[in-house]
Amino acid sequence: MYEKHLMICGATGCLSSGSHLVEQALVEELEKQGIKDKFRLVMGGCPGFCEVGPIIVVYPDEVFYCRLKPKDMAELVEKHLVGGEIVERLLYKGPDVDVPARFYDTIPFYAKQKFNVLRNSGVIDPESIDEYIMRGGYRAFTRALAMDPPAVCEEVKQAGLRGRGGAGFSTGLKWEFTNKAPGSKKYVVCNADEGDPGAFMDRSILEGDPHAILEGMLICGRAIGADEGYIYCRAEYPLAIKRLRVAIEKAQEYGLLGENILGYGYNFEMNIKEGAGAFVCGEETALLASIEGKRGMPRPRPPFPAQSGLFGKPTTINNVETLANVPLIMKEGGAAEFVKVGTEGSKGTKVFALAGKVRNTGLCEVPMGITIREIIYDVGGGIKGGRDFKAVQAGGPSGGCIPVDLIDLPIDYDSLNQAGAIMGSGGLVVMDEGTCMVDLARYFLSFTQKESCGKCTPCREGTKRMLEILNRISEGFGEPGDLEVLDSLAGSIKDSSLCGLGQTCPNPVLSTIRYFRNEYEEHINERFCRAGVCKELFKYRIDEEKCTGCTACVRACPADAIKGEKKEPHEIIQELCTRCGSCIEKCRQDCIMITPVGSEADVSN
Amino acid sequence: MQEETGEKLMEKFIDHCCEKCTHTKANPCRDFINCCVEGPICHKNEPCTKKRKAIINKVALNEQFVIC
Repeated sequence: MYEKHLMICGATGCLSSGSHLVEQALVEELEKQGIKDKFRLVMGGCPGFCEVGPIIVVYPDEVFYCRLKPKDMAELVEKHLVGGEIVERLLYKGPDVDVPARFYDTIPFYAKQKFNVLRNSGVIDPESIDEYIMRGGYRAFTRALAMDPPAVCEEVKQAGLRGRGGAGFSTGLKWEFTNKAPGSKKYVVCNADEGDPGAFMDRSILEGDPHAILEGMLICGRAIGADEGYIYCRAEYPLAIKRLRVAIEKAQEYGLLGENILGYGYNFEMNIKEGAGAFVCGEETALLASIEGKRGMPRPRPPFPAQSGLFGKPTTINNVETLANVPLIMKEGGAAEFVKVGTEGSKGTKVFALAGKVRNTGLCEVPMGITIREIIYDVGGGIKGGRDFKAVQAGGPSGGCIPVDLIDLPIDYDSLNQAGAIMGSGGLVVMDEGTCMVDLARYFLSFTQKESCGKCTPCREGTKRMLEILNRISEGFGEPGDLEVLDSLAGSIKDSSLCGLGQTCPNPVLSTIRYFRNEYEEHINERFCRAGVCKELFKYRIDEEKCTGCTACVRACPADAIKGEKKEPHEIIQELCTRCGSCIEKCRQDCIMITPVGSEADVSN
Repeated sequence: MQEETGEKLMEKFIDHCCEKCTHTKANPCRDFINCCVEGPICHKNEPCTKKRKAIINKVALNEQFVIC
């Protein structure tokens, strides 16, 4: 028996912040004191709060230590592990707590979260099948084995589970289609090709709880009559792939994969296919082509994969998060529990990757129906630097921008669709007043334009034309009528593209025009970027009345473009200024203004 | 690993608690998963129960850890 368990976040985010060095220092300290055998150290999954990593949670005390450095380990061992005293300086501190917080019950980031999909992440050793079984793992699969396959489809359908990868189609119905499709050979495919910039929900699930995905796939396989599965995971996720390989090996050893599983006469083989990272391969027919060894390009549907999918056989493709929900639904009484959370049309929880200008970046799992305000201010802790919230981009490059006016919009499939966004896979990029919406639309469109496979003309050529217009607008060459052309092109691309990439890629442009038309018009008609992002469309100017000559801006300027004596008002030399923004960040008197080129007026926010 | 009595301990759930357990990949048991945490199911034997509990107690973080 161990005295304590130390769950160290071993997910990619914390590893990049040095959690492996923290672990190394912890091991060395325990060995130095000759007490290593008393404590269990696990490099586990992600507890979600990436902003404050590296993280260690000490059990059974449930003490949450964060922002750890290797040099902190001597004190943690001496005080907490040996002396039984909590090291207060390593606890979570922030403007949202009055006193240093210990764990979920006192850290506001966790207060509104509900862990379904992330139930095991950071709690079990992801490489231990025994710990997954202790947490109730593979019970749902055992139950599904004893049921008729159509009954399994029906139960998932009744639970109201909708695909978490983008479109939100009914998972049970999708399974039913494949179940009913004729043919003795069928496949289950797990889409782990998470390609949205800033999104890492699926990676964290795979890294923290790989058996949940295997179990979800096994249940799906049983329901549709498949005997083989593929996990299509991008090679950029090496830790996820390693953990999946270990999980598959253990499941084979335990007789949960292979022939005659648990004596029910059911066979299932699992394969991993590493993808090369093309965004379009998240589209299901392109993904199937890639598994088959072909170039990752979509094909027209119908036939849908449920009728003719991988190698021409009936195939069900589900996203990682969708599959991770399945064991919860299929356990005894699980469906009844599942429907208690969420809204009428969107049941359960959703995992979001919270990124951008929000204080608490990281991974959060919240009930469907929670509002944007709650996610940004309660979970996310508000906007960094006390600035104003402007908008949130939901659903990545295929999604849309939701403005501050809709901050009380509930997050569910239907509400997001009505607002011109989509649930997508769960990326939420938060923006403040310093974000230019034209530039944002340009960024996402340049991403999808580069990732367009080129097979169909509307997407290949249409996105190029749209991007050219956006580039012109942000460089100061916008023309009257540009917005109408953008709108018309977007409509044509949405209507006539071959696959989901093309059909959704105009969304960021359309939603920003819909909600921030004035910004576009200001760029076109006044050649002015109010946010100070489009470099050709503004200049910085120092307000001589306010400037105290503190020289902070002079020291910050990398281009030596600010002149002035100490305690005398400074001046920006426009010819040298690169508009990098270093001066405005450092100015304590708030005397640097964003002004239109050729104007002396103060129109900054 | 041997207990003082000479009886073999279980290090993981796939290990057999005694000769009465026959679950292997080639000879699978339908109760295997439930048996891991709640077993043994096919026979009553306190030492066999303890062997499973020992695996759990080693890694369980708290009393809520095990879900049946």
